[in-house]
Amino acid sequence: MYSVFGAVFHVKGLVSAPSRVGSLLAITGFELATFLLPAQIFSLRATTPLEVRCVTGYKPLVLNAHLEGPQLTWNEKYNKHGHLGSWKREKNGRRQYVGKVQFAYFDTQTQASKKLLVATDQNVIASINSRTGELYAVVVSGNGRFLRSWETNIGGLNWEMVLDTGSFQFATFIGVQDTVKYVAVLKETAISLHYLSNGHQKWVENLPDSETVTYQLVYSGGNGIVYVLGLTTRSHLTIIAYNLEDGEILSQVLVQCPWIVSLHSNCAIVGEGNLVCADSETRSLYTLALETGRTLTQVTMQSLDLSLEEGFQPHIIATQPNPALNAHAQFFLQLGPHHYSLLQLQQDIISPVRDFQQAYNINLFSADSGRRLLDTLTTVNLTPGEGPLVKAYVHAFLKKDDSVGYRVLLQTEDDSLIFVQQPGKILWTREEALADVVSMEMVDLPLTGTQAELEGEFGKKADGLLGMVFKRLSSQLILLQAWISHLWKMFYDARKPRSQVKNEVTIETLARDEFNLQKMMVMVTASGKLFGMESSSGTILWKHYLPGIHRTASLKLVVQRTTAHFPHPPQCTLLIKNKESGLTTLHVFNPIFGRKSHIVPPVLSRPVLQSLLLPIMDQDYAKVLLLIDDEYKVTAFPSSKNVLQQLQAIASSIFFCLVDAEQGKLSGFRLHKDLTTEQIWEVVIPTEVQKISVVKGKKANEHVHSQGRVMGDRSVLYKYLNPNLLAVVTESVDTHQERSFVGIYLIDGVTGRIIHEAVQRKARGPIYVVHSENWVVYEYWNTKSRRNEFSVLELYEGTEQYNSTAFSSLDRPQPPQVLQQSYIFPSPISMLEATITEKGITSRHLLVGLPSGAILSLPKMFLDPRRPEVPSEQSREENLIPYAPELPIRSEWFINYNQSVSRVKGIYTAPSGLESTCLVVAYGLDIYQTRVFPSKQFDVLKDDYDYVLISSVLLGLVFATMITKRLAQVKLLNRAWR
Amino acid sequence: MWLALCTVFPTLWSVIYGFNEQDLPAVSGQPNGDRFKIEGRAVVPGIRAQDWISSARVLVEGEEHVGFFRTDGSFTVNDVPFGSYVLEIVSPAYKFEPVRVDITSKGKMRARMVNYIKTSEVIRLPYPLQLRSSGSPSYFLKRETWGWTDFLMNPMVMMMVLPLLIIVLLPKVVNTNDPEMRREMEQSMNMLNPNHELPDVSEFMTKLFSSKSSGKSGSSSKTGKSGPMKRR
Repeated sequence: MYSVFGAVFHVKGLVSAPSRVGSLLAITGFELATFLLPAQIFSLRATTPLEVRCVTGYKPLVLNAHLEGPQLTWNEKYNKHGHLGSWKREKNGRRQYVGKVQFAYFDTQTQASKKLLVATDQNVIASINSRTGELYAVVVSGNGRFLRSWETNIGGLNWEMVLDTGSFQFATFIGVQDTVKYVAVLKETAISLHYLSNGHQKWVENLPDSETVTYQLVYSGGNGIVYVLGLTTRSHLTIIAYNLEDGEILSQVLVQCPWIVSLHSNCAIVGEGNLVCADSETRSLYTLALETGRTLTQVTMQSLDLSLEEGFQPHIIATQPNPALNAHAQFFLQLGPHHYSLLQLQQDIISPVRDFQQAYNINLFSADSGRRLLDTLTTVNLTPGEGPLVKAYVHAFLKKDDSVGYRVLLQTEDDSLIFVQQPGKILWTREEALADVVSMEMVDLPLTGTQAELEGEFGKKADGLLGMVFKRLSSQLILLQAWISHLWKMFYDARKPRSQVKNEVTIETLARDEFNLQKMMVMVTASGKLFGMESSSGTILWKHYLPGIHRTASLKLVVQRTTAHFPHPPQCTLLIKNKESGLTTLHVFNPIFGRKSHIVPPVLSRPVLQSLLLPIMDQDYAKVLLLIDDEYKVTAFPSSKNVLQQLQAIASSIFFCLVDAEQGKLSGFRLHKDLTTEQIWEVVIPTEVQKISVVKGKKANEHVHSQGRVMGDRSVLYKYLNPNLLAVVTESVDTHQERSFVGIYLIDGVTGRIIHEAVQRKARGPIYVVHSENWVVYEYWNTKSRRNEFSVLELYEGTEQYNSTAFSSLDRPQPPQVLQQSYIFPSPISMLEATITEKGITSRHLLVGLPSGAILSLPKMFLDPRRPEVPSEQSREENLIPYAPELPIRSEWFINYNQSVSRVKGIYTAPSGLESTCLVVAYGLDIYQTRVFPSKQFDVLKDDYDYVLISSVLLGLVFATMITKRLAQVKLLNRAWR
Repeated sequence: MWLALCTVFPTLWSVIYGFNEQDLPAVSGQPNGDRFKIEGRAVVPGIRAQDWISSARVLVEGEEHVGFFRTDGSFTVNDVPFGSYVLEIVSPAYKFEPVRVDITSKGKMRARMVNYIKTSEVIRLPYPLQLRSSGSPSYFLKRETWGWTDFLMNPMVMMMVLPLLIIVLLPKVVNTNDPEMRREMEQSMNMLNPNHELPDVSEFMTKLFSSKSSGKSGSSSKTGKSGPMKRR
């Protein structure tokens, strides 16, 4: 089940103490990455921009005992100056992630250095932890277009070189006389050598026969010769030796070897420039000295007492700790998924050192003898909810008393990183899966036990007058008890210094607060791991790994039952659609505890096209999910008899719409009583001219408080509030800047009627759309003026409302009035979302994610198509801002101030129990949660509300009245005597 | 060299606007074909480059091209095809003005101020770029505080309190029981009477209000002061 690994290791600082070589670390149970160079070369994807960051663990990334709290390295200083508060105190907070680790490297330049450098699949290079010493990290990125060298202390760039075009193959360091001086970059057609100090090219040579030979490996043992190894598939191996100084070809050797598939997996360079390859067919190892050899020497595995598992491609794992020196003579041969063997190559003779079968503990072994070092056993217990281990990065070092110690970074299949120190102590865990959140929902927290008790009283059947009275009394006693204990706790905490009071949120203490501001954030990540995060503290309360979800699978999260229906547990359903097969599976779970529900989801044999969450509930208050498959058949979940009856009753009013973006087709269907469907309309957008890029409906949980707008002349302009309206945005296929355009269609999802269409000429995507209430806001790129523009569409019924009690798409004779205005936005954007509140009374803001990582809260008031060019008396009365072409960006509107959220992929908004407050979660590489108040906190007293002043003024007034009353009496009496 | 470029630019400018992606001219002398690099340097006054560059990046037209800072605060954005771009330095702690950089198909560069409304307007900036931070962005609004002075200086309060003071205090200062004084006052009142055909202050004010509602506070404070005069 676990893939295994091992690696040759070397003990102390790599460059500083090469004489210490001689210890070997072997770990069985997972795969060990084998790069332990003083600096690493990574190849990163070209699509996403590269990001450099330093990360703080939310569990403190502390390796030194005296360092406490999350350690920041690169931007530590600025955080001191900035207004950085903890998640708790500021009621908002950020969690930083880096993504799935592809490479990790322990910075071991000096003994004191505790820095861990990682590069991830999200194109991030990160330095985790505190640090000392200097080191280079070299990065090839942009599909081999750039060669960059980083300064690892502060994360600055040392140099950046643009490489010639050509597909990147391999890069390595080249050392001369014990020091690393050059970087060799191997492309498909050429090899180039760069100085490590400044990136300048020393020489570049074209590779001979690059059409037929794929060059894959570069090796140098520090003796002034650079070997380039290429392969012609199923034919021969080419070995070219270059002179390090001038790039002159010293020798070129062809070796027949029709069995090698890939040099990277089958072969490795071991010891003093010996190529070792493994072949599964002949079950033998081949060796070749790069310097002198002309033919491969065959050594059968049987002669080494090794048995290869059936059908397994053997791998060879070797290590070259210092590029200026030879690789280790010891190497691993993987014989099966869980079977490794440590071999040694000395004087052209291969000898086995030790055999490793599957085990789950870590041991240090001497590389020379294969002997296990004492006291180096580590056993790691993985918490449930973690995936199996896939990789380990080991950092071994000599302790002060000359014994060997080590630390291990373990990576699991679900992208979490676990840092383990001897003996088996988990120092920290990072959930890197959260760098790639796909979808999320916020679920209300459950009631406390006492509240639930009260709820339960009314939920159950009545059992007599006396029984009810006793029940009531007992539950009120419980409430009193809870209140007293709460008071006692408050009193107790008040005496302690504030820093010691810890309100740690655990799954037991989880309870809804008064205004429902804390919620459970249920996050679905691309790796297939689900997380439950408490929104006020950011603590991960539960995690659940669903193995076997492919990263391309589309995931949709649906809340079927909220926490409101005690004693029924809340219920979430995750739809997992496999990209290749199109088949969908359902995972039903409890969003508060993360446990899989005992409810058996329906088995879907056909690919699901659409899912609908209906407002009808079954007898257990679970909302009904309708799944429509590719034969337009409908499956209901849950599908109890009660549900089917309800469905039949309202089937005539259920319509749904399917969008086929590839064929540019929108089609509407209606549901029949027997749960069959019938197509009732179809809109085809010609794909030769334009393609559908976005289709946006309205949020189901949205409330609109006011039906219209009161205008300056006291008449009412009624909003066109069509809940079935779809905003369809198309982009032209022709991307030429003069001819490209963006089209917007407003289509009624029930009748298929096109309510409005507009075309924006000389515009192109990326397009971001928000559709809410009676307005649609979209953002596009103006190709003529080269700027980003916002456009807003608002729909009104006019001054008369057709039917004020209910809206029906089928009965709307008048088309709505459509108003539109456009504005310049002085920045590109990465995400667009609108705030949402409980009752919709609060004014709306747009949340705009900017590429700088800031999230701008832009009042919708600025995007109002009724903004007049010339302000009039009436427009002033309506509080309309006069039209200005450019929208402002004010730094006061950044809801995340200096805590930038990198590469925002989504912004989730949820209403809270307070009308003024909207909860916002921005996720991308980082996760940021905060509250926004679009109309200020009109329903909340300020934090610094002066109770003393108010009460003293009141008391003063009371006294004043009493005194004046007395005085008046005295005066009256005196007057009477006069 | 730069001066020479400046004179060449007006003619080159048409080239930028009229470029066609199909007929990209081959550029000689550039090792990277038709790809260019934008160079510059950013300074935060009073702060060492090491302290801010790690969290800062250079974004060219969103995240299309990204540049990183060297430890001395200089940057190079490589691999940029010709065209017109908005270059922006993003840093959570320091604010920088964006710059528009134009690259001709021949690789000539110029930098100018960003003007989204008049996109063809040219206000030239030095190239290689020299960017200076204009300080830290203000992320927080100052909390409204409550003070006695704020309360007392409020025009509404002034308007209420001043007439009150005059009404209460004036009768005490001027002895109205003195018959001589009373006669004197009556005389002065007669002098102020409308036989001089002076417009009534209150009427004048209402007219002023209905015609012009702006400048409310100024005129209202005037009413406040002139009100008691009339009452006398």
